Amino acid sequence: MFHHTPFRYAALVLLASGALFQAFTAQYFGLEILTEILILAMLVLALDMVAGFGGMVSLCHGALMGVGAYGYAVLSTTAGLTPPVAMAAAVGITAGISWVIGAICSRSHGIYFIMATLAFGQMAYSYVFEAPIFGGDDGLGGIERLDLSFIGVDLNDTRTFALFCLVTLAAMYGLAVMILRSGLGRSFSGVMHNEQRMRALGLTVWRIKADVFGLSGMIAGVAGVLAAQHIMYISPGLMAWTVSGEALVVVILGGLGTLVGPLVGAAVFVVLKHELSSLTTYWHLIVGVILIGVVMSRANGIFGFIENSFAARSKTTEINPKAMEVTKDA
Amino acid sequence: MLETRNLDKSFGAVHVTRDVSLKLERGERRVILGPNGAGKTTLFNQLVGELTPDSGTVNLAGEDVTALPVAKRARQGLSRSYQKNTLFDGLTVEENLGLAAAIHTGNATTLWSDSLGKAEVREIVKDVANQVDLMPFLHAKVSQISYGVRRQLEVGVALATRPLVLLMDEPTSGVGPEMAKGFHDLLNNLPRDLTLLIIEHDMDLAFDVADTITVLNYGEVVFDGLPDAARGSDLLKEIYLGSWEDA
Ligand SMILES: Nc1ncnc2c1ncn2[C@@H]1O[C@H](COP(=O)(O)OP(=O)(O)O)[C@@H](O)[C@H]1O
Ligand SMILES: [Mg+2]
Repeated sequence: MFHHTPFRYAALVLLASGALFQAFTAQYFGLEILTEILILAMLVLALDMVAGFGGMVSLCHGALMGVGAYGYAVLSTTAGLTPPVAMAAAVGITAGISWVIGAICSRSHGIYFIMATLAFGQMAYSYVFEAPIFGGDDGLGGIERLDLSFIGVDLNDTRTFALFCLVTLAAMYGLAVMILRSGLGRSFSGVMHNEQRMRALGLTVWRIKADVFGLSGMIAGVAGVLAAQHIMYISPGLMAWTVSGEALVVVILGGLGTLVGPLVGAAVFVVLKHELSSLTTYWHLIVGVILIGVVMSRANGIFGFIENSFAARSKTTEINPKAMEVTKDA
Repeated sequence: MLETRNLDKSFGAVHVTRDVSLKLERGERRVILGPNGAGKTTLFNQLVGELTPDSGTVNLAGEDVTALPVAKRARQGLSRSYQKNTLFDGLTVEENLGLAAAIHTGNATTLWSDSLGKAEVREIVKDVANQVDLMPFLHAKVSQISYGVRRQLEVGVALATRPLVLLMDEPTSGVGPEMAKGFHDLLNNLPRDLTLLIIEHDMDLAFDVADTITVLNYGEVVFDGLPDAARGSDLLKEIYLGSWEDA
C-alpha cells in the first residue's frame, strides 16, 4: 500500500533540486544525460506502479514506450497531425493497448505473467520491424518536437527540452501517486497481497488489473513520445525486449515498490552506463555485478538500503530483518 | 435466504458432496457439524462459487446464483471467512477491513478519491472492529497480532462487506477453549437479521450459537434439525465420537 513518508518527501525534494541544478548549469552533454535519465525515470515509474504495487512484473513496458514513440512519429509525420494532437493520440493508443494486455494477462501470475507480457512485447517489436509504415529496420526520422513558441518556449533548445521533460516527469509522478492512493490503487495493492480474498469480497479483479495496467501504459506512452521528440529519430531497437529488461533492472536497483527508488535507480543506471562505457566496453558486466550485490544485500534496492539505514539510525528500535516489508509499507 | 438443492461434487473417484440440500431462513443461525474430511469446506467453496458443483443449484435471496462468479455472488450479499487465514498480510488491521468496506460501498474502483479515507468506509471499519473486538489493534499489521486476533480479523474482513449471509469456516479453529468461548459470545452479539452458516467441529460450542444444526458425513447430510434433537441423536454421537477417537 502506497504511503509517502517525510523521508520520501525529502528524497523527492533532493532529487528535484539535483535535476534542476543540472538543468540550469550543465552543458550540452550533461543536458543530454539528464534528459535520458528523466525519460528512463518515467518508464520505470510506470513499471514500478504495476510491478511494485500490484505484482504485475511486466516485460513489455519497453515495447509500450515504443508504441508511444512510434505512434507519435507516424501520426505527426506520415499522418500529418499536429504535434499536440499526435501526442494525445499516441498516448491514448498506448493506454488502450496496455489495457487490453493487462486484461488478457490478468489471470496469469509469476513467471507466466512475465512470459505473456514478453510475448506481447515481442509481437509489437516484430510488427514494427516488418511493417513498411514504421520504416522497418531503418526506423523513422524527421520527428518534430512540440511547438510551444506561442508561450515563448523553444523546445528545440536542449536545456529547455530537459526542463520540459523534468516538468512532465513531475506531473507523471503526481499522477502515479494519485492513482496509487485512489480507491483503484488501494484495491490494486489488495489484489497483490491476496487476490483470492479480494475476489471473495466482491472485487472484479481483472478489471482492476487492466485499469491500472492501462494507466501505467499511458505513462510509458508519455515517456515514448518524449523519447521520440528527444532523439527526433526512432528505430525498432527502442522496442527490443532488452529495453523492458533494463527497465526492470533499474526498478530493482532503485527499490521495487517505493516509487521514489526507481527514479534514483534511473539516475544511477544512466550515469553508470556513461561513466563505465567510456572506461570499458564490458560495462554491462559491472552493472551486473552491482545488481547482484544489491539483490544479495537483501535490502530493497539502493533507495531501500538508504531508507533502512536512516530508519535504523534515527530509531532506537531494532531493525526489522524483513527489509523488503519495511520499505514497502513504511 | 440461502438455499441449495441436490448439490453434488466429486474429485475424481472421491465423492465429496452427495446430493446436499440445505435451506436457511433470513436471520437463521445454522451450524454445520461433521468430522474432518466430511466435505464441509468443499461445500462452502461451492456456495460462494470458488468451486463449481457437478450438479445442483445455489439460491441466494431468491435468485439462482449457481452460474455467477465469486465476485458477483459476494456483491449480492454472500460473504465467507476461511478455515485457514486468508488476510492481507503486509497491511494493517484497519486496511484489511477498509479494503473490504471499500468494495461494499462502491469505492474500490474510483480513481478520484482514496477509498480508505472515505467517511462511509471508516464507519464500517469502526463498527466491524467493535463487533469482533479489534479496536485495540486497528493500526497493527497482521504480522504483529496474535493468531487468535487474526482469527477475529478473518471474520471481521468478511463482515466488512455488510453481507446478508455470512459463512464462517471453523472460526475458532486453532484457538484455545477460552478464546473460542469469547468468540462465540461475539457471534451471539451479531445482528439478528444476519444469516449465519458456521462450520464448527466442537459440538458444545456449536450448541452455543446454533438455531439449527446440519451434520455432514462423507459428503452427505445425515442430520438436519434442532440442536436438542441433535444432542440426543445416537447417529451423531456415533459419527462424531468415532471420528474423535480416530483423530
Ligand atoms: N481440490 C481438491 N482436490 C481433491 N480432493 C479434494 C480437494 N479439496 C478437498 N478434497 C477432498 O475432499 C474431502 C473433503 O474435504 P473438505 O471439504 O476440506 O473437508 P472438511 O472441511 O469437512 O474437513 C477430503 O477428502 C479432501 O481430501
Ligand atoms: Mg474444512
